Amino acid sequence: MILKSFVRDYGDEQSKIRNSRAGKIFLICTCVFVVAILFVGGLAFRFYLKSFAKSQVVQDYDKYYVMITDNYKSDFWNSVYSGALEAAKAENVYVDLLGESFSEDYSCEQLMKIAIASKVDGIIVFANETDTMTKLIDEAVSKGIPVVTLYSDNTKSKRLSFVGVGSYNIGREYGRQIFNLITEKRREDFIESETMEARKSMKVSVLVDTDAKDTGQNILISALQETLSQENATNSEFSINIVPVNNKNAFSVEESIRDIFLRENIPDVIICLNELNTECAYQAVVDFNMVGKVGILGYYDSESIVNAIDRNVLYATISIDTTQMGEYCIEALTDYYDTGNTSEYFTADVTLINKANVSEYLKKEEDDE
Amino acid sequence: MNRFMGLPLKRKISIVYMGANVLIFIVSFFLILGINSMAQSMELVYQDNRQLNHLSEALTDVQDSMTLYLSSKTTDSLENYYKNAQNLQDISDELVGRVSDNSFDRMRRNIRNMTNDYLGVVSQTVEAKRGRNVEKYRNHYETATELYEYIVSYINSLNLDQFANNSEYYTQLARAFRAFETVGVIVMTLVMVGNIIIITSIVGMLVRPINMLADSANEVAKGNFDVELPNLSYRDEVGVVIGAFNQMIISIKEYIVRLRESMEKERDMQEKELMMEAHLKDAQLKYLQAQINPHFLFNTLNAGAQLAMMEGADRTYKYVQTVADFFRYNVKKQETNVTIGEEVTLVDNYIQILNVRFSGDIKYEKQIDERLMAVEMPSMILQPIVENAVNHGIREMGDKGKITLSVYRQDDRVRISIKDNGKGVSPEDIEKILNGNWNRKENQYDNNGIGMDNVIKRLKLFAGEEDVMDILSEGPDLGCEVIVYLPLSKNMG
Repeated sequence: MILKSFVRDYGDEQSKIRNSRAGKIFLICTCVFVVAILFVGGLAFRFYLKSFAKSQVVQDYDKYYVMITDNYKSDFWNSVYSGALEAAKAENVYVDLLGESFSEDYSCEQLMKIAIASKVDGIIVFANETDTMTKLIDEAVSKGIPVVTLYSDNTKSKRLSFVGVGSYNIGREYGRQIFNLITEKRREDFIESETMEARKSMKVSVLVDTDAKDTGQNILISALQETLSQENATNSEFSINIVPVNNKNAFSVEESIRDIFLRENIPDVIICLNELNTECAYQAVVDFNMVGKVGILGYYDSESIVNAIDRNVLYATISIDTTQMGEYCIEALTDYYDTGNTSEYFTADVTLINKANVSEYLKKEEDDE
Repeated sequence: MNRFMGLPLKRKISIVYMGANVLIFIVSFFLILGINSMAQSMELVYQDNRQLNHLSEALTDVQDSMTLYLSSKTTDSLENYYKNAQNLQDISDELVGRVSDNSFDRMRRNIRNMTNDYLGVVSQTVEAKRGRNVEKYRNHYETATELYEYIVSYINSLNLDQFANNSEYYTQLARAFRAFETVGVIVMTLVMVGNIIIITSIVGMLVRPINMLADSANEVAKGNFDVELPNLSYRDEVGVVIGAFNQMIISIKEYIVRLRESMEKERDMQEKELMMEAHLKDAQLKYLQAQINPHFLFNTLNAGAQLAMMEGADRTYKYVQTVADFFRYNVKKQETNVTIGEEVTLVDNYIQILNVRFSGDIKYEKQIDERLMAVEMPSMILQPIVENAVNHGIREMGDKGKITLSVYRQDDRVRISIKDNGKGVSPEDIEKILNGNWNRKENQYDNNGIGMDNVIKRLKLFAGEEDVMDILSEGPDLGCEVIVYLPLSKNMG
C-alpha cells in the first residue's frame, strides 16, 4: 500500500521532473546507491563474521610444565604461579596451575598422579616429606619427568631441585621480632606488676601444620629459639610451644586456631607460618577482642595482611618474593633441559614488613591496582 | 547509457527486468550464503561437547568391559574389551590437543595422554588376568580405576568449561544471526526500493518520448501545426516513429505554405481583372448615358457636314467633321487600349470643337515627341483632363486661356503634361483629387461624364503602380499642370 502510493507519488514527481538530464542524474545516483548498499552490506557482514570467527591468536609452546599446590586459590600460590608463567613464556614453555581446571578438589598426591599420567614435561610441586610423595616423585622421574619441589621439600626423593625460602633466615627474623615484642610487653608488665614473682613469663605459640613433616618448619623453629636465646641470656621469661593446626580437612584450620583463644592460657605471641593461618589468627584476635594483648607474627603480604599491620592488629609479617620463586622453578627446569643438571637449592628473597615500613607496601599495592 | 537507450525497445525492457531480477537474486544469494554459514557455525557449536561425551562413553565402556572380564573372564567380555579399547583409542586419537594459550587445548592434550596411559594400564591388567597373576592384576586394576576416575573428572571439567564457553559462543552467534537478519532485511528493502526507483525512471524515460509524441499529435489534430516537435533522442522504435512524425509535420507545413502562396496569387489576379472590368463598365455606362445613340449622331453630323460642303461652307464642314470624329472615337475606342497618338488627336479634335463653340478663345500648343506616338495607353484619359482644364481653369478667361500639351520621355516613363494658365487649384483640392475624394457636382453640364477619379484608377490599374499622376499648381490664377506618367516598358516589351 505504502509502496503503491510511493510509486504514484514518484510518478507524479517524475512527470514534474521534465528535465531529462535531472532524471538521468537521479537514475544514476539511485543505481550507484543500490550498488553501494550491496557492497557495503556485503562488506560489513563479511567483516562482522570475520571478527566473530576470529578467536584470539593462539600461541603454541614447546614444553608443558605443571605446578601442583595444595590450594590453587590462595594469593600466595597465584603470585608464585604468575611469576613462573611469565618466566616460562619467555622460554616458550607453558605452565599450568594444575587443579585450577578441575571441578573437584584434589590433593597434591592425586594431582601428581594426574600430572604423571598426562606425560607433562616438568612438575613443580608443593611437596612434603611423606613416603607417598617420595614415591610419586620417584615415579615421575623414572618416567623422564623432572620434578622441582616448591616451598616445601621432599629430601628423600630424586627431585631435581628445591625452590624455597630461607627458613633459617625467616626463623631468625621472627626471633628478633619476638624479642622486640617481648621487650615491649615486659616494659608494660614492669609498670603493672609490683613484684618479680608476679611477672609472668611470655608464652610464644608457633602454629604448625599437622600433616606436614616439613623440615622447613623445624629449621625455622630452631632458628627462632636460637635467636631468642642469643638475644636474651636467660630463658626464663618466655616459653615457646608448638601448636599443631589440623589442616587435614577443609575447615579445620580455622577451628583449630579459634580453639587456642578458647583455652585458659592464651599465648602472648602467635607465630603463623602460612597465609591461611595468618588470616585466621588475625580474624580471631579481632573477634575475641584481643588486639594489643596478643601479638601476631604473620606470613606473606596479601592485601588484607598488610592492611592488618597498618591497623596494628598484626605486629609484623614476612614478605616473600613470590615472583622470584616462580622464576627459579622455571630456571631449574630449563637448566635441566639445556644442560642436564641444575642447582639443587634456590632460595627466594624474604623481607620483613612491620609498622615501620608498611606504608611502602601499601603504596605499592595501590600502584599495582 | 546512450548506448543502452539506443537499443531496440524490446531489448531495453528485457534488460531492465533482467537487471532488477539479478539484483534481487544477488541479495537473496548473499542472504542464503550468510544463513548457511551461520547455520553451519551453529551446528558446530556443541561439536566439542559431543566429542567429549563420546570419549566419556567409550572410556566407561572400556572400564566396564575390563571389570566384567576381571570378574567373569568370559570370551565375550574380552572381545568387548578389545572392541571398546580400540574404539577409545580411535576417539582419543581424534582429540586435537596441544600446548597453547588456550586451556581447552592443554586439557585435551592431558586427557589424550592420560587415556593412552590408562589404556596401557588396562591392557597390563588384562594381560595379568590372563596370566592369572592375581596380585599384579589387582594392583593394576586399582591404578586403572584411579586413572579412570581422574580422566572422567577431567573430561567432566573440560566438558563443563567448554559448555559454558560454547553457550556463550552460541548466544553470540544467535545475536549475530539476529543482526544478520536485520541487516539482511534492511539491505533487501533498500535494494527493492532502489529497484523500483530504477525501473520506474527507466520506464518513464522509455515512455516519455511516446507521451511527447502523443501530446504533439493531439496539438496537430487540433489544427495547430506550429507545435514544438518532439526531439528525437534515441534510435529505437519510438525514435523512428517520432522521426517519421516530425518529417510528416514538416512536409505538411511546407505544402500548406505553397498552397497559400498560389491561392493568394490567383486571388490577386482575379481582383485586378474584376476591378478593371468594373471601372470600364462604369466608364461605358457614363458614355452611354452621355451619348445616346452615337451612330445616329454621326450620321446626323455627317449629313450636316455634306450639306455644309455642298453649300461651300468649308469651315462648317470641317467643324462638323471634327465633332463627328470626336464622337466616333468615343464609340470606337472605349473598350481597348489606344495609342498616345490617337489620344492626342482626340484632344486636338476636342480643342477644335471648343474653339468653334467658344469662337477660338483657347490657345492650344503642342510639344510632342513623335517617337512616342505609338506607345499604348488606356483610352479616354487625356480628353477628360483637358476638359477639366478648360471647364475649371480657363473658361472664364475669354481669349487669354491657353492649353499646352507636351509628350516626352522621362527616364523609362512617358510624361504627358497638360498645362493651363487658368485659375489654378488649391493644394487641398489637389490632395482630394489625387486621393479620389473630390466630390463632383452632379448634373454638371457640358462634359462627357468621366471624372478624374475614374481616370486615375484606370491609370493605376494600367500601370500597375500608384505614382501615375501629378497635379502642380503654383497658386490662384497661376494655372495648373496635370502630369500623367505611363510606363514605357509595358509597351516596349
